[in-house]
Amino acid sequence: MTTTTPQTVIAPAPARSATKAATVRRRKQGFQHGGWFVAPFLALFGLFVIWPVVRGLYLSFTDANISGEGASFIGLDNYREALQDDMLWDSLGHSAYFTLLVVPCITVMAFLLAMLAHHIERGKWLWRLCFFLPFLLPSTVAGNLWEWLFNPTAGMVNHVFGLDTAWLADKSYSMLAVVICTLWWTAGFSFLLYLAALQGIPAHLYEAAKLDGANAWHRMVHITLPMLRNITGLVIALQILASLQVFDQAVVMFDFGPGPEDSTRTFVQFTLEEGFTAYRVGYASATSIIFFVIIASVALARMWLLRNREEGAR
Amino acid sequence: MGRPGLNRRQLLAGASGLAVAGSLGFAAMGTGADALTSGADTRVRYWNLFSGGDGYNMISMLNDFRRGHPDIDVKDSTLQWGNPYYSKLAMTASGDRAPDLAVMHLGRIPGFAPGTLLDPWDVGLLAKYGVREEDFNQVLWKRATIDGKLYGLPLDIHVQLCFYRKDVLKKAGLLDGEGRMVPVTSTDEWFDVLKEAKKAAKKGVQTLGLNVQDLNIQWWMFVAFYTQLGGTWFSADRTEVTFDTDKATQVLEFLRKHVTDGYSAKGAKGAEQMVNGAPFTWEGNWSVPVFDTAKVPYGATPLPPVFGKEATHAESHAFVLPHQAERGGAANEGAHQLAAYIVKHARKWALGGHIPAYTPTLSSAAYRKMEPQSEYVSAMNHMATEPKAWFAGSTGLLGQRTGPIVMSASAGSASPEAAARRLKGALSQLLASKNPMDGRTAAQGGAVS
Repeated sequence: MTTTTPQTVIAPAPARSATKAATVRRRKQGFQHGGWFVAPFLALFGLFVIWPVVRGLYLSFTDANISGEGASFIGLDNYREALQDDMLWDSLGHSAYFTLLVVPCITVMAFLLAMLAHHIERGKWLWRLCFFLPFLLPSTVAGNLWEWLFNPTAGMVNHVFGLDTAWLADKSYSMLAVVICTLWWTAGFSFLLYLAALQGIPAHLYEAAKLDGANAWHRMVHITLPMLRNITGLVIALQILASLQVFDQAVVMFDFGPGPEDSTRTFVQFTLEEGFTAYRVGYASATSIIFFVIIASVALARMWLLRNREEGAR
Repeated sequence: MGRPGLNRRQLLAGASGLAVAGSLGFAAMGTGADALTSGADTRVRYWNLFSGGDGYNMISMLNDFRRGHPDIDVKDSTLQWGNPYYSKLAMTASGDRAPDLAVMHLGRIPGFAPGTLLDPWDVGLLAKYGVREEDFNQVLWKRATIDGKLYGLPLDIHVQLCFYRKDVLKKAGLLDGEGRMVPVTSTDEWFDVLKEAKKAAKKGVQTLGLNVQDLNIQWWMFVAFYTQLGGTWFSADRTEVTFDTDKATQVLEFLRKHVTDGYSAKGAKGAEQMVNGAPFTWEGNWSVPVFDTAKVPYGATPLPPVFGKEATHAESHAFVLPHQAERGGAANEGAHQLAAYIVKHARKWALGGHIPAYTPTLSSAAYRKMEPQSEYVSAMNHMATEPKAWFAGSTGLLGQRTGPIVMSASAGSASPEAAARRLKGALSQLLASKNPMDGRTAAQGGAVS
């Protein structure tokens, strides 16, 4: 699930000149007209997001099994157990390790690819297509493809680089293999964001800099990178949130197993196993809530950092 | 749910049939005519997890049944095997939308809450359709019985086998007079055989196609060889782990040696290697259709008794009745009838390599003539199975926890001693943990007998 769509909310700038009364009136009118438009969305959102979350929160205080029968309230027992569960911490570590590897790599890679596609004149569309195309593949296809490429005897990776590495059977390489697959598969999305941002930089800035005698390096450092700062923040934030939830490509590459020495069992996989292999729905609900809190904290921390930075810049 | 109507394709087939055949009428229309003339009053919804060659054989058997029983409409659904299948089955049974009949691995029955998620078979009704306890392998029948009630009707035994390529072994001088692999009775002999076979095999293939990366295969191999050494799992009252780490270490060292001595590559798949020329593969009997289709000259024996005693890992497919609040009536009887029919006609099922659980089929001359099935049929007399506990059974919690540990030893990232200790730890943890379905541990009788 490394393919979440951007969720940035563009807040309208407060209308400072308007009087308070006018604002209230406009809000009321806004609701009358807009309320009906958002009602279908709100209904679906409530039914498929809010209600399951509330239900999950309730289940996390019970010992419910998959049959849904005979569950009893056990208070914080699940949470207490979760905090002492080595497998939980290991899997959280694997998800974090994956995130640490993927986020910097994908950001740099997407930027470089975007620069390349932006500046190359011949066959521009071909480059864009090549870089973006893998992103359109389903995770099962991407996972299976790389499982083949990493095959130690018949795979292309070892063949091309003259290696003898058991990528998927050796715990030192297993997570790296998932990272490589993910980079190839999902970098296209961030690449597209960067490309759009690059095209949005006004050409006259570069012209003025050239007149002032700035060379390519100066133009990059003093114009391109600062102008891309916001998009870089966005790419990093989206990648962190998506990477923490890594699941499907890892599971496909390791045939639904947890990889050598459990090295690729991610947090999502751990939760899935508790709920659907061990049938402990109550416990799996508790671990989901814990994960929800972790992800929400990361998102909030990012918002807080960003706000501080903006205020600092003002 | 009403009676099934004509679907679009049947309607089109019917229309074109009429147009072409004119006065010949329904008889000329193939499937369209079948649906119209079946007049089925009973609908049996049946879930299974068979894909590939097994799926093909099962559908063919269902079609045979349909032809002979036009009054019963069989609505079959094939789902992804393993945990996705079992979680769907559990949820459908708890939501009272259970199918009338389903397939399940025998080892999973104790953990599947017999009585809550599964209904017992009506043995009298089975007898009416010609299936009786005395016609089955007793080990299987006992495994399917919980608290004196039958919860699974055994269909087959499926085992891990030692497949071999006759062309390569002939070159290596490892075939006997009848063209079968020479017997092996010790680890030294086995590695000598591998050494000779490696010389005769073409370069770039594994000598033993073994999936070091597959946690199921690794665990099943461990179960087989650990049983050959006479190893046990738990005390009879299920309060103590009797797992022997010395024996386990011996097995793990044996498995690992295949990788360290260069006979198996870590990370390569098993069965496909034999198609490419590998002399040996240790795989499930479901590879039989793969090798048949690829026209590989091959034979198959039970896993070599390298530790002296014969033992081959075995699991079973069984028919179960997922729990329905109001089970009974025509659909329930139809489910009994269908299951009995398939079990009795399992010779076609044996094409997929499985050993039929129904002994009259097993002892029939037609089955005895099947190759390589007849070569490994003895495996059913020395089945190495997982312990009968709520956490055991194919792709269950036990295998999920232990498989990666065995794998770590085979692939060389953990020492066999350390892996053996961790296996014991995993077993202790599972034995002490409560079955989420009934809140009892194995020692408290939680879904075991």
